[in-house]
Amino acid sequence: MANRAGLAIGMGRDARAEPARVASSARGVLHVLGRFAVRQPLGAIGGLIVLVLIVAAIFAPLLAPYGAKDATFAQYLPPSAEFPMGTDQIGRDILSRVVWGARLSLYVGLVSVAFGITLGALWGIITAYFGGLADSASQRVVDVLMALPPIVLALSLMAALGQSVNNVIMALAILLTPTAARTLRSVALSIKESPYVEAARAAGCSHWRIIFLHVLPNSFATYIVLFTVNISYAIVVEAALSFLGLGVPPDEPSWGGMLTAGTQAMETAPWMIWFPGLAISLTVFGLNLLGDAIRDVTDPRLRGGLG
Amino acid sequence: MRKSVVLTLTLALLLGLSASGAAAQEKPRYGGVLNWYVYADPGRLDIHAESPLSVQQALAGVYSSLLHYDPDDPTKITGDLAERWTVSPDGKAYTFHLRKGVKWHDGQPFSAADVKATFDRVLNPNFQSPRCGSMLKPLVASVEMLDPHTVQFQLKFPAAPFVSSVASAWCRVAAKHILEKYGDLTRPEAQIGTGPFKFKRYERDSVIEWEKNKDYFIPGLPYLDGVKQFVLKGVPTQVAAAKAGRIVLWDTWPPMKKTEADEVKRARGEEVEIYQSPLNTIMLVYMHTQKPPFNNPDLRKAVNLAIDRQELVAKTLEGAGVPCAMLDPKLVGDFALPLEEVNKLPGCRQPKDQDIAEAKRLVEKHYPNGVDVEAAVRSVGGYIDRAQLVLAQLRKIGIRGTLKTYESAAGFAVYGKGDFIFIAIQDRAMVTGDPSDVFGLIYTTGSGSNWGRWSDPKVDELADRGLKEQNREKRRQIYHELQRHLLTQDTTAVSVGWIEGWFFRDKRVRNYKVSPTIYDHNTFMKVWLAQ
Repeated sequence: MANRAGLAIGMGRDARAEPARVASSARGVLHVLGRFAVRQPLGAIGGLIVLVLIVAAIFAPLLAPYGAKDATFAQYLPPSAEFPMGTDQIGRDILSRVVWGARLSLYVGLVSVAFGITLGALWGIITAYFGGLADSASQRVVDVLMALPPIVLALSLMAALGQSVNNVIMALAILLTPTAARTLRSVALSIKESPYVEAARAAGCSHWRIIFLHVLPNSFATYIVLFTVNISYAIVVEAALSFLGLGVPPDEPSWGGMLTAGTQAMETAPWMIWFPGLAISLTVFGLNLLGDAIRDVTDPRLRGGLG
Repeated sequence: MRKSVVLTLTLALLLGLSASGAAAQEKPRYGGVLNWYVYADPGRLDIHAESPLSVQQALAGVYSSLLHYDPDDPTKITGDLAERWTVSPDGKAYTFHLRKGVKWHDGQPFSAADVKATFDRVLNPNFQSPRCGSMLKPLVASVEMLDPHTVQFQLKFPAAPFVSSVASAWCRVAAKHILEKYGDLTRPEAQIGTGPFKFKRYERDSVIEWEKNKDYFIPGLPYLDGVKQFVLKGVPTQVAAAKAGRIVLWDTWPPMKKTEADEVKRARGEEVEIYQSPLNTIMLVYMHTQKPPFNNPDLRKAVNLAIDRQELVAKTLEGAGVPCAMLDPKLVGDFALPLEEVNKLPGCRQPKDQDIAEAKRLVEKHYPNGVDVEAAVRSVGGYIDRAQLVLAQLRKIGIRGTLKTYESAAGFAVYGKGDFIFIAIQDRAMVTGDPSDVFGLIYTTGSGSNWGRWSDPKVDELADRGLKEQNREKRRQIYHELQRHLLTQDTTAVSVGWIEGWFFRDKRVRNYKVSPTIYDHNTFMKVWLAQ
């Protein structure tokens, strides 16, 4: 496999040198990860949890013993060897739904954050760079959006848009945009005054060239931190919306939706809330640990270097 | 030893009998407000134009009817606003002699003009009246006011279900002057009736409150000072309210499941009486017959074959129901097709393998890669769970449903307009105890709950013959033929079964009698609260 990879990559170059380079870069990555684990042990645990989540999400069809919507078993079966997490109110395997739920949570979390944070970042950076009236006006819009309690805003959006996975993503993206715009604006304001931006301007670079080649790349660390921290937030809000019956449609395997169903049988089948509840808690815990660790590593004041 | 046991038992029996005798002769107590719940916000309050139980429950004690189910013995029909009635020898003219001195809640006098205005409204061909109108339009030719206290209904033919239809809580009499003032009965301020309670307060999604009508036409009634109905959505909330003693009665839809009833019993002990009962309500899955993919009879037939009624009743009602039946033998006796026959029909028989294979073949014939449909469901009661199970069953034959949930009143509006493709689950309660109800409400062309716009001349013809037939045996045969036809056809609405359930009554609630339908025992006219 390594040889084939080496041949493919090495076409037109010294093919013999490639395997060694790949091995050394892999060693480098392992070295960086190792140092990260030593310096940020909690972050490493978070990373491990997130890795499990990602694996579950990607390989859900292989890992889940049954389909998420197959209701062919007896209801309210307690955890057993056959159904490690029991079955739910209509006879679906909870383990399968939790595994498929990982895919849904991660999908909703990643896509909504990617949209929301990216849109907010561009909004904040561009308005910060140009300043003036557009900046002030856009910041008032941000003020309005941030003044609304997030769950109320999300509920209103879902009530208006209707229940679907894509609408949850849209609502979450709208929820995340103002925070990103405000944060990235403050970063961009300081970068805008830095000598290398002044130098670029003196050299005659266009505004858009400065924004995309200087300001934006230098805001990237903040962007990454916002990104990781907000995935867990998006997952929790999705779960909350589904719990309140306004998230994804009820038959989709959402952890929040599973919790709602579980509340109906809390006394007789408590496992219906144990496992989705545990999945939400662990995921948020893992993502927060990882996010904090990445923030610490990327923060120049705390950074001790990983190299 | 043995003798003393017998003596003790005899004494206990005697004491018990005397206690129950005392209870029967207990003097009703005046005062108190009865608290119970309604499962959804009723929204529009026009009792003639709407069909949800929530609307009926919100208004039951506010209005009176010409006839009603006797509050002392709800198996009988007696006069309410009508003191007495007579039938012409040919059975086609019913004359109602009205009570005198009855006043509307706003002080205006009640007269035959109000009755005529009410039934002219309900019978107007251009007025959508899914309950009262749906029942009476096929039967009644005209309504005439003979004098200020006498009205006469001319029927199109001597119709067996006429009296029970007029006695239905959906055929309440409204005030002519209110209809003229507001145009309809939708608004809270238009709720002016002649019933034992006045409509006092309606806070959306929160509470509906009645207060005692001191000028009620039966002196000494009602006993209660008022009735409060809390809008409690979701079974866990309803069960929690019952366990905490916040509500004193649960005799409404949705019924409790056995496990929920047990929870209430554990929490309330001897304070409550728990009982099981049918609701005269059928569980259905609807398809829109004018829209793809269910405008294709093969697809409807496939759904009819694939729905596992037994699984639905077992899993979502904990077995409390009669799967598959088009009529419930417990409610209409031998008018219902024998269950042994029903349970052998394709779609109803177990095991399902053969029917599922056939259903799959029918779907693949038109949609080799399966088909996606949007499945509507109202997010009330246990509908969400039932709908998910229906979709899981249909996924086996290549019909992939995505649930679209609606708030209660919004869902009914969508269904009424035909703005759906598939309704994953919906209960329909009957209005009378007559076997004609289910056909006239759901399956005949243009009927009130024929939301899927289905039309089958044979169904119309048999239903019409059933209404007109006076001979009981012949009528039974007609309804058997109709049931066989519907159970094997590509209908708009698959009969999942008749639902039953568990209910509770706080033992302080006295003189509450259950009627043959879920709509007709909620006036609380003679109900009182013990200390």
